[in-house]
Amino acid sequence: MVESCISNKIYSYKHECKWPNSEAADVHNIIVRKSRSKGFLVFFSALLILANVILLFLIKDKSIAVVFWSFIWDVLIVKLLLRKPVEKESVVVMPALGVQLETHYVSGKIIRRFVPIDKILKPVLLECVTPVTCYWSLSLIIQEEAELMLVFKELRPPVKMLVPIWKALCAATGSEGSLNTFTDDGPCC
Amino acid sequence: MGDSKRQRILMVSDFFYPNFGGVENHIYLLSQCLIKLGHKVVVMTHAYGNRSGVRYMTGGLKVYYVPWKPFLMQNTLPTFYGTLPIIRTILIREQISLVHGHQAFSTLCHEALMHARTMGYKVVFTDHSLYGFADVGSIHMNKDCHQKRLVYRKGADLLVEVIPEVCRMYPNVRFIVGGDGPKRVRLEEMREKHSLQDRVEMLGAVPHARVRSVLISGHIFLNSSLTEAFCIAILEAASCGLLTVSTRVGGVPEVLPDDMIVLAEPDPTDMVQAIKKAISILPMIDPQDMHNRMKKLYDWHDVAKRTEIVYDRALKCSNQSLLERLSRYLACGAWAGKLFCLVMIIDFLLWRLLQLWKPAEDIEVVPDIVLSHDED
Repeated sequence: MVESCISNKIYSYKHECKWPNSEAADVHNIIVRKSRSKGFLVFFSALLILANVILLFLIKDKSIAVVFWSFIWDVLIVKLLLRKPVEKESVVVMPALGVQLETHYVSGKIIRRFVPIDKILKPVLLECVTPVTCYWSLSLIIQEEAELMLVFKELRPPVKMLVPIWKALCAATGSEGSLNTFTDDGPCC
Repeated sequence: MGDSKRQRILMVSDFFYPNFGGVENHIYLLSQCLIKLGHKVVVMTHAYGNRSGVRYMTGGLKVYYVPWKPFLMQNTLPTFYGTLPIIRTILIREQISLVHGHQAFSTLCHEALMHARTMGYKVVFTDHSLYGFADVGSIHMNKDCHQKRLVYRKGADLLVEVIPEVCRMYPNVRFIVGGDGPKRVRLEEMREKHSLQDRVEMLGAVPHARVRSVLISGHIFLNSSLTEAFCIAILEAASCGLLTVSTRVGGVPEVLPDDMIVLAEPDPTDMVQAIKKAISILPMIDPQDMHNRMKKLYDWHDVAKRTEIVYDRALKCSNQSLLERLSRYLACGAWAGKLFCLVMIIDFLLWRLLQLWKPAEDIEVVPDIVLSHDED
């Protein structure tokens, strides 16, 4: 049963209750929307690499520097394209047991991480600052761990989708979820 | 002071807490007073060690420690356009109305002001120091809190001439010298040469907490700086009830009222004359009265209110289109003008590109955090 749904250009958020009559499990999904621009980007990049290779064949006296930089450029594009695309990331909240974090790839592979409920000290919403941007992320403070555990490892959903998940995690772990409290910043994400 | 609207101000500087200094203090105290006046203040600086990301200080002051590495004396590496994306993101997500940059030597400040102007925001700039570039010795920035730093800028060489002369003219005058630096050796040598060990006391570096107790043991404060924009030391001395004798350089004449300071040219003879005059008017000075007057003259809340007026003026300035701004840059010089224009045109184009790639609607606005009374 789908309880709520929020979407934007890149992601959509679906909240499901696995067994509606009990509070056994709550699933929050962040799904990557299929975009036509991604396909266009792949096509365009492939065209670029092809053009690069053809040019290399056609130029008679090429310096080793040209070949080297073309190679680096092509490797970079291929690396970007071959990054494993993520289909969706889920948070399964089981109030009595713990929280399961899942990453579903387009290839069918699923990576799951389970965190027992008593190991979670607090879920926090952080602002992460990088040299070029600033974004919100949801993390868990784990007992006896120096590092925070990111709830969404691959995706960067907007804060309007993170807030209901954060509230659900707070309710499950019994921590006070008030938006008026400051949150500490963690390692630079 | 009028009905100024609530502003959302971004303070930008390379110099902020956890660094200690005049600029850092200024930004922090001004921000706190502006918050009390009802404005929202956000500070942007570079990361210090592993202090990186968003931090909150007293009163809800939000600080962005952007992970750009400082390359020289706490200054971020100047990349011209490298900081454009993060500055744009911060300006949009915090809904900033005005950018206030601090300190001429801060590269981050200048880049932020340039990008803010390109994006159409109003900016205010505060210069905290005037440095002469005549010689390398005068380009030296504050690192630690010492009472007087014995470097060329502080005219230690002047002291070396002045002290023996004054000691000769007045047998019951003693000198207390606080501070450390490269020129300390010269003062020690002067002491040895004229056998003034019992007349001149060298305290070495004085921690800031002990400055007051050192000051109140004196009657006259002697400042022999060769370059100075403002000189907080003179203010501190006057607050402790000391009569000041100082070189007439930079902004020093504007710091104190005329009856609290005796000015002299940065020349040994003139300085000795000034000290003579100061000693003669000393009996008429009331330290407590001086202190009370200083308290009223310099007050952070007063500074914040006056800064608010500057902000209101800045916000009333007309919006200039790119072409109007470019024509102003062209007037800067034959080659410099054209170079500045080129830099600004590229900045504008990069900004437009960024708008296409990451539209402003995709950048989420940060909700305002409301402090409850017990969290203040």
